[in-house]
Amino acid sequence: MSEYLLEMKGICKSFAGVRALDHVNFKVRPGKVMCLAGENGCGKSTLVKIISGVYTRDEGEVIFEGQPVTKITPAEATRMGIQVIYQDLSIFPNLTVMENLAINSEITAGVKFVNRKRWEETAKEALSKIGYNIDLYAKMGELSVADKQLVAICRALLFNAKLIIMDEPTTALTKKEVDALFTTVRQLRDSGIAIMFISHKTEEIFEISDDVCIMRNGKNVYSGLTSELTPDQFTYYMTGRELTNDRFEPKNISREPVLKVDQLTLPGNYENVTFSLRKGEILGITGLLGSGRTELALSLFGLNNPKSGTITLNGSQVKITSPMKAQKLKIGYVPEDRLTEGLCLQQPIADNITLASLKRLSNALGILKHQDILDDAQIWKEKFSIATDDVRKFASTLSGGNQQKIVLSKWLSNDLDVLILNGPTVGVDVGAKQDIHALVHELANEGLAVIIISDDLSEVVTNCNRVIVMKEGRIVGEMDGDQVTEDNILEIIR
Amino acid sequence: MKEFVNKNRYMTMLLGLLAVILVLFTITKGSLLWTGGTWKGIVMQFPEYGVITLGIMFCFVSGHIDMSFVALGDFASIIAVRYMAAHTPENGTNGQIMGVILVGLLIAVLIGALGGVINGVLIAYLNIPPVMATIAMQLVWLGLSTALTQGYAVNGVPALYTEIGHSNVFGFIPFPLLVFIIVFIICAFLLKFTTYGEKLYMLGSNIKAAKFSGINTKAMLIGTFVFADVVATIGCMLMVSSNNSAKADYGTSYVMQVILILVLAGVLPDGGLGKITNVVLAIVTVQIISSCINMFKDLNIYYANMIWGGLLIVVLILGTKLNGEGLIRKKKKA
Repeated sequence: MSEYLLEMKGICKSFAGVRALDHVNFKVRPGKVMCLAGENGCGKSTLVKIISGVYTRDEGEVIFEGQPVTKITPAEATRMGIQVIYQDLSIFPNLTVMENLAINSEITAGVKFVNRKRWEETAKEALSKIGYNIDLYAKMGELSVADKQLVAICRALLFNAKLIIMDEPTTALTKKEVDALFTTVRQLRDSGIAIMFISHKTEEIFEISDDVCIMRNGKNVYSGLTSELTPDQFTYYMTGRELTNDRFEPKNISREPVLKVDQLTLPGNYENVTFSLRKGEILGITGLLGSGRTELALSLFGLNNPKSGTITLNGSQVKITSPMKAQKLKIGYVPEDRLTEGLCLQQPIADNITLASLKRLSNALGILKHQDILDDAQIWKEKFSIATDDVRKFASTLSGGNQQKIVLSKWLSNDLDVLILNGPTVGVDVGAKQDIHALVHELANEGLAVIIISDDLSEVVTNCNRVIVMKEGRIVGEMDGDQVTEDNILEIIR
Repeated sequence: MKEFVNKNRYMTMLLGLLAVILVLFTITKGSLLWTGGTWKGIVMQFPEYGVITLGIMFCFVSGHIDMSFVALGDFASIIAVRYMAAHTPENGTNGQIMGVILVGLLIAVLIGALGGVINGVLIAYLNIPPVMATIAMQLVWLGLSTALTQGYAVNGVPALYTEIGHSNVFGFIPFPLLVFIIVFIICAFLLKFTTYGEKLYMLGSNIKAAKFSGINTKAMLIGTFVFADVVATIGCMLMVSSNNSAKADYGTSYVMQVILILVLAGVLPDGGLGKITNVVLAIVTVQIISSCINMFKDLNIYYANMIWGGLLIVVLILGTKLNGEGLIRKKKKA
């Protein structure tokens, strides 16, 4: 038997004449964790879909357990022991954990009648594979992302999986949940299962993987042992450019605070929150999911009215009751979930960028200046290097990182005093992340007051000169300057 | 050419459909189709529901649907006609009668606006699904009209009103067509050249993102329903002049016809989509089909509904191909 569980040689795939994969080679060893890394749009998902049988390759050779495989269909892939856990997890949110676990094997077995006892046995067997405990009758939709993921893993194990592919599993997880997931991954690895882990987060890849395969523009540019690679080399291979990891140095902090929050309380969300923010500062607010950070941010943008406490803006007390009011008060908010809250995907890029500044781009009668809208969008396209040839194309044509740049431009093209960024680089690749951070630094030094809400600690540490840590709706720690380190924050969070 | 087709898929489809229909009916009923009378009829008839369609287009662009507009318009016209009948002085001068007509029209428009506010509040503030809310309101207006009139037509429309409705402006433009053209210009201007129109398309594609961009989505929705229902009521007032009366169930078939036209034009109730020029093209197409069907005297008129239903299904299938992944995916594989 071959040393490798899965070998792929010279895989090519084109869509409408565009090469998505160009002679990609890679190998997966049994009982090892292999990381597939690359920026958004580099062909990672296409490759996964070829392995799982969703797409058919144009050229190339696939060898599974030493046997050449000519054609892969999804059913064939499952039979061979290949399981993919997609980002959306493919679960049924309105069914129970038990039903979710049992449904696939019930369907495969062609059973026509429901036997609750058999379902329960199947579900228990699945959970026992990784020694995971959860209420079998809980509704799937009510579980946290981390729990959903573990259930999805258990479900995959029911099919005697030999290779489990996880598509960016850590995107929506907090640090603690990532650790728990990694424990499970190691457990699976030690039992002889090969794991293919797709990610673009440098730290995670170095923490978990044995082998790494880096892709760029449809080609694999590096494959080999993770231990032979340094983080800098890794970033270089991924982006094709040298990246500098500049920490934010505030240069221009005002004396008077622009925003003061005093004893702000909304029972059940957050309590007695007090902090101030000066111009030129980047303030980080971090904490686990459910710590009240997002709820607090929404209150500052008029979408979650606080019950008591005061907000003072430029010296006068204000009540922010709606996003319209917030906008008038020169507060901008880049939401957590850019797809549902930030973008109109089926509308042009230009219209998305200018959506919050139509007042400026129209005359007193509300008549649009179409040319100004295009010009404005063009300026942001260049300033942010948004990867498109025409700003009249739909926002849906862009990758995650470029889409996030649109959402940011939307607010930055307004005259703002305070900009609140909630998870500004979630699901954004390294290159775009760098662009976004650099621009935020520049704007802060020009006098903008910025709040970054994030659970990506390295993001908080490199970008914020001051950090507030929240836990269960309260501020449990504050640090600034050199005290802002990942270790210090972790100590308070846990 | 290829670029035009790709950019204007709906327009291409509509022009194609129109061509097929004209050829088909020229072969079967050519002698009847190509007469001045037929085309005059076509031009006289489509403005009625054409005006309504232009109004309801705004609801669709915002990502919502309205089912109540005809019932609301009928109710408004019943009240307006009752007012006009009661206040028209016998042997009054044209000026006096004109005054009564204008007050009557104002009443109709105000009732239309009220219906729009109710729809908007139910949907934007009370979060009731638009289909449910507007079907319920449709029943409310229909019930009110029927109770008021016992189901009979309300007569007594001033002769002057009917006269104006049948007149030709500048000697050659039928009055209803002029109303349609004016409404079209206003709607096209609002959609294409104002911040309101821009926001409406954005709100229709993603209402949450619009809200997060500082747009007053609730006020926008109420305003949109008011505009749509007022315009629809104006369409119903045109109906009054052609029928010379108002009735609780005039134009009930227009509800489905308006939805058919909008979908045909690519203005899907999912929101954020569609061009007003395509809507006009679809209105004309549907009128031509309808006039042609009427030429087959031996065809039972009740089959017309079946034809509309069938056409709606065909259009929906084509529509998902034109907008959705159907066509695009095929292209990728090729």
